[in-house]
Amino acid sequence: MKTDTAVRLPAYPGTGTGPTVLRRLGYVLLYSLLILVALLQILPLIWLLLFSLKNNQEVFDMAPFALPATPRWENYVKVWTEGNISLYFFNSVWITVVSVVFTVLFASLVTFAITRMRWKGRSLVLGLFMVGMMIPVHSTLIPLFSLFLKLHLTDHPLSVILSYIAFNMPITIMILLGFYYALPREVEEAAVMDGCSVHRIFFRIVLPMTASVIATTAIINMIYDWNEFIFVNTFISTDAYKTLTVGVQNFIGQYTTDWGAIGATLMISILPILIAFLVLSNRIVEGIAAGSVKG
Amino acid sequence: MRKKPIAMLLTLTLILAVFLSGCSNSGADGEGEASGSGSDGKVTLKFMHLWPAGSSAQQNKLVNEIIKQYQTDHPNVTIKQEVLENEQYKNKLKILSASNELPDVGVTWAAGFLEPYVKGNLFAPLDDLLSGSLEGKFIAGTTEAYAVEGKTYALPIELNISPIYYNKDIFAKYNLQPPATYDEFLNVVKTLTDNGVVPIALGNKDRWTGSLWYMYLANRLGGDALEKAINGTGKFDDPALIQAAAEVQKLVDMNAFNKGYNGLSNDEGKSEFMNEKAAMYLMGTWELPNYTTNPDVPQEFKDKIGFFKFPTMDGGKSDINSWVGGPGVGLFVAQNSKVKDEAQKFVQYFVEKWGESSVTEAGVIPATKVDTAEVKLPQLYTDLLNELNQASSLTLFADVQMKPTAAQVHLDMIQALFGKAVTPEKFVKNHQEAIDKGN
Amino acid sequence: MDKVMSNRLVAALYVLPALLLLLVLIYIPIVLTGYYGLMQWDGIGAMTFIGFENYARLLHDATFWQSAYHTFLLALFSALSLIGYLMIALVLSGKIKGANLFRKIYLIPMLLSSVAIAQLWLKIYHPSNGVLNTFLESVGIANPPAWLAEPSLVLYALFVPILWQYAGFYILIYYAALKNIPESLVEAARIDGASPWQIAFRIKLPLITEVIKVTIVLAVVGSLKYFDLIYVMTDGGPNGSSEVMASYMYHQAFRGFDFGYGSAVGFFLLVICLVVTWLLRKATASKDTIQYS
Repeated sequence: MKTDTAVRLPAYPGTGTGPTVLRRLGYVLLYSLLILVALLQILPLIWLLLFSLKNNQEVFDMAPFALPATPRWENYVKVWTEGNISLYFFNSVWITVVSVVFTVLFASLVTFAITRMRWKGRSLVLGLFMVGMMIPVHSTLIPLFSLFLKLHLTDHPLSVILSYIAFNMPITIMILLGFYYALPREVEEAAVMDGCSVHRIFFRIVLPMTASVIATTAIINMIYDWNEFIFVNTFISTDAYKTLTVGVQNFIGQYTTDWGAIGATLMISILPILIAFLVLSNRIVEGIAAGSVKG
Repeated sequence: MRKKPIAMLLTLTLILAVFLSGCSNSGADGEGEASGSGSDGKVTLKFMHLWPAGSSAQQNKLVNEIIKQYQTDHPNVTIKQEVLENEQYKNKLKILSASNELPDVGVTWAAGFLEPYVKGNLFAPLDDLLSGSLEGKFIAGTTEAYAVEGKTYALPIELNISPIYYNKDIFAKYNLQPPATYDEFLNVVKTLTDNGVVPIALGNKDRWTGSLWYMYLANRLGGDALEKAINGTGKFDDPALIQAAAEVQKLVDMNAFNKGYNGLSNDEGKSEFMNEKAAMYLMGTWELPNYTTNPDVPQEFKDKIGFFKFPTMDGGKSDINSWVGGPGVGLFVAQNSKVKDEAQKFVQYFVEKWGESSVTEAGVIPATKVDTAEVKLPQLYTDLLNELNQASSLTLFADVQMKPTAAQVHLDMIQALFGKAVTPEKFVKNHQEAIDKGN
Repeated sequence: MDKVMSNRLVAALYVLPALLLLLVLIYIPIVLTGYYGLMQWDGIGAMTFIGFENYARLLHDATFWQSAYHTFLLALFSALSLIGYLMIALVLSGKIKGANLFRKIYLIPMLLSSVAIAQLWLKIYHPSNGVLNTFLESVGIANPPAWLAEPSLVLYALFVPILWQYAGFYILIYYAALKNIPESLVEAARIDGASPWQIAFRIKLPLITEVIKVTIVLAVVGSLKYFDLIYVMTDGGPNGSSEVMASYMYHQAFRGFDFGYGSAVGFFLLVICLVVTWLLRKATASKDTIQYS
């Protein structure tokens, strides 16, 4: 049992009475490491921004991080007006949103049923989902295409959405599984005693408790779906339903590569996901803050 | 999080999904009709090609003009395009053919690429078109590359030969002349390396670029030995073919190519030439727009570029007018197309109109004859077109000649050869094994 | 509790939609892949049944086994790198100022599409103009290698961007797991005089064991199937020195027009994933899962 204490404890990194100098040094090292890693991670975005504002010659000639003589915003204009980028952008957005919502929902339902409910065959079902994670994507292209053909779903966004849900559920379930196992059960047990139905337990209790991991899996799914390419390319033929990644590929040609345009497209394609990510990230923090007031 | 926001979000998404799918559904159904003739004589044609507006702007523009014109002339016909870039196009074509869902009209490559599709009865024979208004218009040898067992299955719309482009300024700086013999060429290479200049730009990650070098060496040394070995009437252990491989490695040892060539894509290799770090670049005539009309390339660079023919070898079996090159892509009509007649008419129209304007508007040399006197062209084009007319023979690219699996072996071997991971003897041995397998 | 939670109907309701999608969209292709693997088929024309010939060929295919070896190396490095990610997540979950910011920054590479990452690292590794080689030359290393052209180096050179791509992903998962640990437990330990090290290793880590096991499986299986950066950056080259199983499969099926054989490779890859996962779970199985009292 935990005892509450009125003593104000010193902040991390320790309660010990070790030498301050050593502790400070530890701090410095720690922060340096973190900053170094952060730099390694953020340089690409900077580079992307830079070369989206250059033309081909500048990209090949100049040093990667050199600033362009004049920022070529026309790359962005060109990309947005030519080649339907706004349409692809819109498609990417709604397809991603729908896919992510349903993937996380289904995965949560399944994980809940497997970890909390008792029924025969739940190990089998779990096993089935895990095996589903192991198929290499390219093996599925031809069979899936034939299947969608028979269902008259080729060239229809539903083929892409359903595929995303099916293929991302296993990994989502796996991540959720780890968290669900570690969740304390007292709250649910109390709810059952109070006479709650399974549905209420799931929607009102468990789901909110898993807010942080839901946000996490939502981000992960969002990233996969937003950047996904091969399914869209295979199942969708008309421009009307193409997504941003496919649109970007159209700029990469057989004999020429318009670097500035690619850069601009990639920047445009990253922005929404960056924003969504930042928003959801804050959700994680909230969820954590709410969830940690227990025990 | 409270329950309400979740519920609302879910409901909203559900509605959105249903709504959008519903909309698209009716839309998709309409398009799901794909091609076919309606009861009122309306015809929809599906055309899939590989000239996206972003990277092949000029070709794309030309294609759209031709389509627009055709639709105006034939108001009952609607042409639906699907545009993909090269590699994705090949993938999609493969997948579509597995389900027998090819577009009515599409783009294909010759010889070895075409064969499986013909064998699978997926392409319709187009010989009728050859005896129509297109009779005699094709340059000799171009349609043959698209023929299997005497029937032609696609009509070529590109023709390319491969000169060695060179930077006249760099040559002049070291008092070099375009070489006519291979010994002179080696001298050029040595002079350049002695002076710290990269002699040849090469991006061999894509492998076919190195193949061009090998093919020319094989040609200059052994004439049609390579072709014979590929089609089975000869063998790969022909001394000329082995020596050609050895010559490649000799060039590698001389540091003739830019650093890291085996890991650089063609574009990256090319940029060494475009940035004037390398003096020479062996590539097809599809590059010409970069040296003539492309507005993104500085004019002063363009003025420096000339070309010379691959030099001859002492005691070799070929003359300087023998080129590596051949027809590029061609148009096919799907065998199971529901609008075959209309598709064939469109192909015929396309080939004609394309041939008339492709050089001036897209910088692409068509497979149909071009009258250089009539059309006003940049000098490099006129020169190369004249060369084409005087060509003694055209050898099609090896990876197109060969059947698909053998072609992959060839390409992998080229990379190994250039990387000195394989001896010339092993190189030809692997080729022979691949050819013997017959696929 | 049991009665409520044993409601079969509800369980079915919760599981069926997902299961249906899974069976239709994933298991049918799995079965078909195995089926195609029994055929001689170029993907276009007719299929001929050849039994297990493809699989027999696979067992003797030196190129395949070389690609399998490369894949194994990737899996090994990925699993080992998890340790690093775990350490970083542990540090972040402590009271570090700006932990949120760091976490967001670490995840940024994952936001980029594989194409973008590939293009970036191609530039970094460029033999003459790349950031890496220019840096090496500036510190006096005379002729730095062409990283993507040297058969002995290319595979390891590729591991860097691959690991870099996923670092943020695993850090995110570990961080979320660590944050889920009730603060009160940590406080209690601290009051009892535990050092940060002890807290980390004796308390935090054991509590997220399930999550760690999950990430190990994810990392290994993900590596076994890995395709994207290999394909875009080197296409398995030069001459197969960076080929992995998934890219080999792709080459056979789509480039070489030998779809039957490609399918056999794909199916075999699936089986390998299964076996490896089973082994992993056996190796990391614990008798009881730790729960809060």
